[in-house]
Amino acid sequence: MKKIININFHGRVIPIEETAYDILKQYVDSLRKHFANEEGRDEIINDIENRFAELFSERIQKGSTCITDDDVNAIIVSMGRPEDFEQEDVTTNNHSSSSHAGSSTGGSQSASQQAYVAEEPHRLYRSENDKILGGVCGGLAAYLRIDPAIVRIIFTIITFGGFGSGILLYIVLWVVVPSRTLSVNIRKRLYRNPENKVIAGVAGGLAAYFHIEVWIPRLIFAFPLILGIITSIFRHTWWHDFDPTPAVLTGGFGGTLFITYIILWIVLPEATTASEKLEMRGEKVDLESIKNTIKSDLEGFKGRAGQMGTEMKEKAQQFGQEVKKATQNFAYETGTTAKRSGSGLGHAIGVLFKAFFLFIAGITAFALIMVLIGFVFSGVGVFPFKDYILTGFWQNFLAWTSLILFLAIPVIALLTWLIRRIMGVRSRSNYLGYAFGSLWTIGLICFIIFVSMLVNNFRTRASVEDEVPMTQPANGKMIVKVAEEKTSYYGSDWFGFNWDNDPPFYSLNEDSVMMNTVRVNLIKSKDQDYHIHRIKFSHGNNPGVAKDLANQIQFNISQTDSVLYLAEGFAITPRQKFRNQQVLVVIEVPVGKRIMMERNVDDYRWFNIEINRRHRGGWELDWNDDWNNSYSWDSNVEYVMTDHGLERTDKKKDNSDEEGDNQEKNNGYRYKNKTDSFKQKSKKDTVQVKSVSEAMNTVPEKEKAGLIAEKQTIKPIPQNNPRQKEGADHELSAFYILSKMM
Amino acid sequence: MNIENTQSQMRKGILEFCILSIIRRGEAYPSDIVDEMKSANLNILEGTLYPLLTRLKNSDMLTYRWVESNSGPPRKYFSLTEKGLTFYKELESTWNELANAVHTLANKTDSMPDTTNQNPSF
Repeated sequence: MKKIININFHGRVIPIEETAYDILKQYVDSLRKHFANEEGRDEIINDIENRFAELFSERIQKGSTCITDDDVNAIIVSMGRPEDFEQEDVTTNNHSSSSHAGSSTGGSQSASQQAYVAEEPHRLYRSENDKILGGVCGGLAAYLRIDPAIVRIIFTIITFGGFGSGILLYIVLWVVVPSRTLSVNIRKRLYRNPENKVIAGVAGGLAAYFHIEVWIPRLIFAFPLILGIITSIFRHTWWHDFDPTPAVLTGGFGGTLFITYIILWIVLPEATTASEKLEMRGEKVDLESIKNTIKSDLEGFKGRAGQMGTEMKEKAQQFGQEVKKATQNFAYETGTTAKRSGSGLGHAIGVLFKAFFLFIAGITAFALIMVLIGFVFSGVGVFPFKDYILTGFWQNFLAWTSLILFLAIPVIALLTWLIRRIMGVRSRSNYLGYAFGSLWTIGLICFIIFVSMLVNNFRTRASVEDEVPMTQPANGKMIVKVAEEKTSYYGSDWFGFNWDNDPPFYSLNEDSVMMNTVRVNLIKSKDQDYHIHRIKFSHGNNPGVAKDLANQIQFNISQTDSVLYLAEGFAITPRQKFRNQQVLVVIEVPVGKRIMMERNVDDYRWFNIEINRRHRGGWELDWNDDWNNSYSWDSNVEYVMTDHGLERTDKKKDNSDEEGDNQEKNNGYRYKNKTDSFKQKSKKDTVQVKSVSEAMNTVPEKEKAGLIAEKQTIKPIPQNNPRQKEGADHELSAFYILSKMM
Repeated sequence: MNIENTQSQMRKGILEFCILSIIRRGEAYPSDIVDEMKSANLNILEGTLYPLLTRLKNSDMLTYRWVESNSGPPRKYFSLTEKGLTFYKELESTWNELANAVHTLANKTDSMPDTTNQNPSF
């Protein structure tokens, strides 16, 4: 019973037995190898294939239902095998050696291995016939008599682990080591072992390759998995556990092995034929050993089939003969390219050029992979934050899906491609590519949905304002300090991640995150007293939620004599979620009174996420703290409020001219109410004024009403609505109010 | 020295000449060439013929054209070029000389002059 497949062979559909097809394919491969250095190789093979197709057609026209092994073998006999040509070729070479130099190498290759080794001193060459780039790894493998794949994997590891040093080493060897056609002494390849498998036979194949007991690789693969399962049982699911370090270690370690297994599964072919099984064990592939394998196969079979044994043995030996030829041909596998006959310096320069470009390409690819891996890890690293940002099952689900599919898939795909290339596995179908592609697309969609959901959470902004009751400081001077709390401050080192700037939060734990997105603004008081306004901002997906969240912010301001103590920050709980909560402290300083900020007020980090109609979906992360919506101040400097604004009591000039300019402009607006020039202002100024408007949104209603009554041109202020189209007017009016207020 | 090797060397030397002499008579299809040679009791593997033809073609001795066939893919029919013809002519004359020489030598029946006495004795 044999399987029949249809092949498209030179424009004809030929039904052919699968085994016959294999024989044909191996024959053509052997020809390809034999004529590798022949100028008209493709043409010759094409002609021969054409002849096969013709003979097949004839056979089918005569009434055969399909092409059988015998048919193919008969044609091969009349065509002759490469070994048969060589006998003839060797003689041609003797008198026309120059024109047939190519086939002479083919001839010597087929000479028995012992003879070949004896004839050639054992030294390092680059392999001409087993190469991906320059044949360095192939040559090393031949020199060390191991599988080229192993050398290639080691080189890759050196490259990745040693930050590109593998590439340099490769280039040096490429330039220094001469190249020549090498016979492959040891044919040993990694296969998956179908006879000894639990899942896919990867461990079995590894065991067969390294001649070790199969339980060793199996245990190595299974151990972290078992450990992971046990630990995860003990500590629920690993990401619910807040201290991620040990879980990440075991999870990451196990994950790596798991991914390795999957990749090997994808990459390694299963050893199905007798010759492949031999290659897997690394035994010398010759007729005797193949016979032995077949025999041992058959002994098992004999137990079941009884007397059929002898009959089958004959057939097996026959098959063995065929396989022997096939495996001989196997030995010259991997595409040999046309011989490069460049010599000396020119060759070296050519190689250097090639190497240079490869180096650049390699570094680029390396960097890309690193960036991707970095993304994946930082994605995992952000997960302590996840409870503060994500709401509901869907957001969590989408976050993880996009992390895995959108970021990890390209990394896995790249690694798979790399290993496939190294192992010399030709992909038999595009399914893998399609699978990766579609998974990544799913990841992309998830990512987009996820981001838009997140953005939605920050759609509206609300603020809550209250005036902090205070007693007027007796000596006409107020000092602003941040109250040092007992909670420890972990600085910028956060789970091994260093922030370029200080993070806008401190003390992250399971129950709460302490935010210090606080700002202190100084404005001129409209009366003779100090006033303190505390304005709490929050985003939310609707105004109600935003307002609610803003209300929940607890930010303490207390006073001892003339010292104003501000809280170090405020806490957000996972239930409240992080919605860009901010606190703005506006201190009104009456004219003629002094104020000073302590150094630690600088520790506040204003962090702003702005999503509005104009940059829809855009994230504007503003870490920059230098923009001011009132008078700028430096810490540890005493200021006095005058009619023209804040002035340093030490009369030194402000260190930044720009700041002074801004202030002047602001003053101009304040006093002239020049509404026309508003739109011509620079973007930076717009931002500044906007912030003022935000501050002003929170001026108590009745006060606002009063102000509005004063100026009939001003529209009512839409509350909590920085995204509206009438934003400009809104900002303008708020700005106007502010200026009036002063 | 092994006999098979010498024999195959002999055959090999005249192979190109034989092929050209078949093609000289008109367009020829490779398997026809093989049959023709077989009938003349010269065995050649088809597999060795194709590379030979390709080499000859690549050095402009031969040219070919495609002929549609009803029993399979179109066939390549080879014919001689001008250059191939002169090449053949040269081979032919060389062959004739060789054949003559070999024939003369092989058919000589008289014994060689005795060399033992011709040793220089000075």
